Amino acid sequence: MRSQRILTIDWLGALLAFLLLAAIPLVFRSTYMLGVMTVALCYGMWAASWDFMSGLTGRENFGHSLFIGAGAYTAGFLNVNFGADPWWSLLAAPLVAVLFSLLMGFPTLRLRGPYFALAMLSASAVMQNLTIIFSAYTGGQDGLNGLFPMLDSVPAYYYLTLGFLAASAVLLRLLANSSWGVILRAIRGDEATCQAAGINVTFYKIASLMISAAVAGLGGALYAHYQLQVGPDLFAVILSINIIIMVYVGGIGSIYGPIGGAILLNALTESLRGLSEYRLWVYTVVLMIILFFLPQGLIAPLWRRVRSLFA
Amino acid sequence: MSELLQVQGLNKWFGGLHAVKDVSFALQPGSITGVLGPNGAGKTTMFNLLTGFIAVDSGSVLFDGHSLTGLVPHRIVNCGLARTFQLARPFAGMSVVENVEVACLAPRVRKAGKPRERARALLDQVGLGRQAELDADVLPYGDLRRLEIARALATNPKLLLLDEPFAGLGGSEIGPLAELIRTLHESEGLSILIIEHKLREFMQLVHHVIAMDFGEVVAVGTPSEIVRHPRVIEAYLGTAQIDLELARHEGAGRA
Repeated sequence: MRSQRILTIDWLGALLAFLLLAAIPLVFRSTYMLGVMTVALCYGMWAASWDFMSGLTGRENFGHSLFIGAGAYTAGFLNVNFGADPWWSLLAAPLVAVLFSLLMGFPTLRLRGPYFALAMLSASAVMQNLTIIFSAYTGGQDGLNGLFPMLDSVPAYYYLTLGFLAASAVLLRLLANSSWGVILRAIRGDEATCQAAGINVTFYKIASLMISAAVAGLGGALYAHYQLQVGPDLFAVILSINIIIMVYVGGIGSIYGPIGGAILLNALTESLRGLSEYRLWVYTVVLMIILFFLPQGLIAPLWRRVRSLFA
Repeated sequence: MSELLQVQGLNKWFGGLHAVKDVSFALQPGSITGVLGPNGAGKTTMFNLLTGFIAVDSGSVLFDGHSLTGLVPHRIVNCGLARTFQLARPFAGMSVVENVEVACLAPRVRKAGKPRERARALLDQVGLGRQAELDADVLPYGDLRRLEIARALATNPKLLLLDEPFAGLGGSEIGPLAELIRTLHESEGLSILIIEHKLREFMQLVHHVIAMDFGEVVAVGTPSEIVRHPRVIEAYLGTAQIDLELARHEGAGRA
């Protein structure tokens, strides 16, 4: 069957992309370059997790940084204040992020209208301010410094991050392809019709936000143990907006597209470093060109084009 | 009690407007019942109350041994009471078969068979088998109505509520759709409650009629009783018939 064949081609494409990313440390020896890529992979986890909840259900989350910051600061507190082994962060960060998703999801996702988007936006802004107000515990603007690395070698940490990104992407994509994904896309279509079809819409929205938060929080912890520092910027609204841009550039609702978008835009930012003060200008113009001419995004439509050559 | 649905003293206010006024009626299993009434009589509001889309102010709804009062819509569907909407609302961006598959994933029917296969069988049943892979948003209106019915059937209801299934359909589409509804009733023994304006098709289809006006039930009976009922003639049929008669008289006078 054709749909079966498309699925096979999709997974082969994903494997190819994974192998290409895995080859980067073998080709490029520069530690700096690997560092940039490690950060890009973290962004990939954030963009994919945003896409799973908001891309599929259409309920925009304007404060994804809440989960990222929650995960990163959990890693920071555990490691710096309590001297816990850094590996504990990988378990604790997603749990704390999920806790935040429950606090946000229960009151706002039962309602229709913009409440969820607005509540996420304000909650992340409030958390950013709280990290500054409670500077005695959080280090204020300077944040928490001196986190321990999980792995000493930069390539090894790159592979660890790549492994978590790949596992998250596979999990999210499997869910999106399953009946769970069918329900989430139906919620995007029309919530009332979904209820008339006997679906508990609120349950699916909250559960999806929890999954989204867990992956974002995990990404936050990986980022924190790469930078060895966490700061209030991890709660910033601009981080959430950047992630949404990456999702749109990659192709919303596809999971893999936003990961491509995240890597692409991180690479673009890095390659424009030589332009110093003109960097943001060029970056913005490139973004506008992409979104104007390719409103469906770049990566996902491109892949569908490639795929149609084989299927 | 052998009633499938028992509605008792149902009330709904919208601010100062008493939209549904002390409505009581009962439905027997295996019947097709119609709800008749002019625009604004409270028919759709009553449907929304029965299906939980609007909260009941007072009164009780007993369905198949469950009290439905205060339940949210998806729970009511999973008790076996499904509905269609007056305006067909397909899931945009999804195929026709996926649209039905969603309802096959409801807890009530999740284990009734493979969702995708059940969805295909239901599409065949309502005559949309060949459109299964199309985008739902490109279907013409008549087919969207069939899609709505397939989605409601997917939840394996004991009672199906159809809100104006013939509205906006052309003459050639009405007959086959009425035939489909009749077949569902006869072959599956499905109980149906139907709101409709298209009088001729409607009266041929239903066994009993509940006539409403200004939020109240004004008459209950067989179709032939209802069309002769003075309150119904006054509220709904009256003006049209009088106009018709006037026109006939005037035409005769001129000839």
